[in-house]
Amino acid sequence: MTKQSLKTMATKALSIFLLLCLGLSFSIAVEPPSSYALETVKCTARPNSDDTNGNVLGGKETRVTWEGQCAADESLSGLSLTFPEGTEFSIADARVTALTGEDMMTREAVDATFIADGQTIVASFTDDIAAGRYVRFEVYGVFFPRTGGEMQLTGTFTLSDGTTAEIAGIPAINVTSSSIAQSWADSLSKKPWVQKWNSNKFLRLFLNPPILVKSFPIVFKGFLMALAVVALAFPIAIPIGFLLSLMRISRRKVLRGIATTYVNVIRGTPLFLQIYIAFFGLPLAGISVPNYPLGVIVLSLNSSAYLCEIFRAGIQSIPKGQFEASRSLGMNGRQTMLSVIIPQMLRRVLPTMTSEFILLYKDTSLLAAVGFMEVVMYAKTIVAATGSITPYIVAACFYLIITLPMAKFVGKFENRLATGDVVQKKKRKKRNGFGNGGDDGGEVVLTESGLESVEDAGITPEEFSSM
Amino acid sequence: MKKTLAIFAMCAALVAGLALAGCSSSKSTDDLGLLTPGKLTVATSPDYPPFENLEGDEVVGFEVDLWNALGEKMGLEIEVVSMQFDAIIPAVVAGGKCDVGISGFSYLPERAEQVDFTESYFVDNQAVAVMKDSGLAAPADLNVEGKKIAVQTGTTGESWAQENYPNAQIIGFGNSNDCFAAMQSGKADAVCTNLAVVEAMLADAYSDATIVDQSATAEEYAMVVSKDNPALTQALNDAIAELQKDGTIDELAAKWFQ
Repeated sequence: MTKQSLKTMATKALSIFLLLCLGLSFSIAVEPPSSYALETVKCTARPNSDDTNGNVLGGKETRVTWEGQCAADESLSGLSLTFPEGTEFSIADARVTALTGEDMMTREAVDATFIADGQTIVASFTDDIAAGRYVRFEVYGVFFPRTGGEMQLTGTFTLSDGTTAEIAGIPAINVTSSSIAQSWADSLSKKPWVQKWNSNKFLRLFLNPPILVKSFPIVFKGFLMALAVVALAFPIAIPIGFLLSLMRISRRKVLRGIATTYVNVIRGTPLFLQIYIAFFGLPLAGISVPNYPLGVIVLSLNSSAYLCEIFRAGIQSIPKGQFEASRSLGMNGRQTMLSVIIPQMLRRVLPTMTSEFILLYKDTSLLAAVGFMEVVMYAKTIVAATGSITPYIVAACFYLIITLPMAKFVGKFENRLATGDVVQKKKRKKRNGFGNGGDDGGEVVLTESGLESVEDAGITPEEFSSM
Repeated sequence: MKKTLAIFAMCAALVAGLALAGCSSSKSTDDLGLLTPGKLTVATSPDYPPFENLEGDEVVGFEVDLWNALGEKMGLEIEVVSMQFDAIIPAVVAGGKCDVGISGFSYLPERAEQVDFTESYFVDNQAVAVMKDSGLAAPADLNVEGKKIAVQTGTTGESWAQENYPNAQIIGFGNSNDCFAAMQSGKADAVCTNLAVVEAMLADAYSDATIVDQSATAEEYAMVVSKDNPALTQALNDAIAELQKDGTIDELAAKWFQ
């Protein structure tokens, strides 16, 4: 069909449609044709949101499927479906199928011609559909109005004897209004600069502006989920890890054995595997835990093994002389730990702990493999729907938002630990008359420009300052 | 600061990788635009019996036999790359990883916007499976709040389940094996995927499951090829037509779908 003929048709469309409606309502009002029955079994639209929430969005392509059961003594010669005002649809790809057999699994292709008549798609069958068939009518390229709402379709059917009646019982389709991001993305994709930008394959695949805009709010939901997991898992892991570290340096062989085995097993196996075992294995063993708590538990158990090693190294880095000195002052083991060792240990392990936090946060992505809706999972669903890698780039940004400041924090903290020593030493020097008067400027230079290289060169900060 | 360096290095590596990928896809002298001349690189997700799944370390199935037959017809060696189902179309679009995606792709207008489809070689339907002892006897039992249906992300089963089970919760998994594992372990109440796959799974590893709902959705399976490579699509279409004519496809279907 040419565009020309479509257009002329469209001009006639409204009047014909009105007449049709009028005639229909008239005939129904005068004499309800109770014997003519085409019962709607379902009328749905395929979910089209990039999200996996199964919503049907306005302003975005979808497919409408109507299914109905013909009366046992009526054969169909035509069907029509009328979409609400503001809805667009295409007659291309539209199809009617008759289903028979047990479970309606046997298909009979129905040869039909389709005409768009205003808001109505009219299907005329070359041969009548046999009586009592279950009929499916699929319309592709449907764009519901952007504003969404309850979309009430109407329809008519024509019997082989030429009588036309209304299809009864079509349920409304609930259409969600398109999100701000979606509308923005749609308007973006029409802009010339975006089209020019997207003509470059690399930019289109990795930094596609409309997809960037569209995926941001969706991936953000995953971001919140990942934060929720790590914000609970890490605080849980800290005490467990600390307890394990105490067990690891304990004199009792049994305690030491338990902790060592645990740490070695957890650190010696991939987290990915642990997640699989927990998510698929535990339920088989009859233990059913919902996804969120299970994710938190697996991650915190995993992280506690790493934290255990961090704490143990921290405790053991405190010179033995301090233990001995405390004990000689009359402190017992517990007092020594609480007031001498742990405060120093905490200061030393804080940077490594932060690094562990970063690792744990990144590891939440592994939960995607078991259907856990976090950053990567959301990004993946959009990638699958759009074929662009852009959502992964958005996902990467959501990791960097957390990891970059954290990394900076670690760096600052390490510097402070280092310069803290310097300050102490400087004070001592000052007392001895060698200091430069607590020059803050010098310290800034030290911390922000050259510490890394100074450390790499194997020179202590103190030596640097005296150079 | 080491972190920033590392991040920078990662970015650099990423960009370099991309540049390389870009080169290899754009630069091909063969008239079919294959990655390696004389070799057809097929991307598939081998977790979809009876179309393709791993038996030991070998990929077997209907589509495996099909692409081998295609290779023979076209005089090409076949190389198989495994990837997750929802990564295949992006990989085909991006180029550089594979020439063609053959992994039970149903023709969908949305997919056709991103990639070219070859002629169809198989028609399949949707089905929903539940465990026999779950007490779920009818679709209506499943379409209620709190029931979970496992689907493979990016599949027609996913959107079909969402459309027809709006009240149930749809959980996405990376591959169909995980969907069935989730159902067996109780993480999900049901699995929704293509009928042929459900039948194969039920006949083999999941004999304690049963089909509770099916629909003749008539999805046409076809291969996906990059839009930049119409010559390959044409060549594949010709080969498929020949295989259809000489009865090879019917033979393979009879072998795998019983």
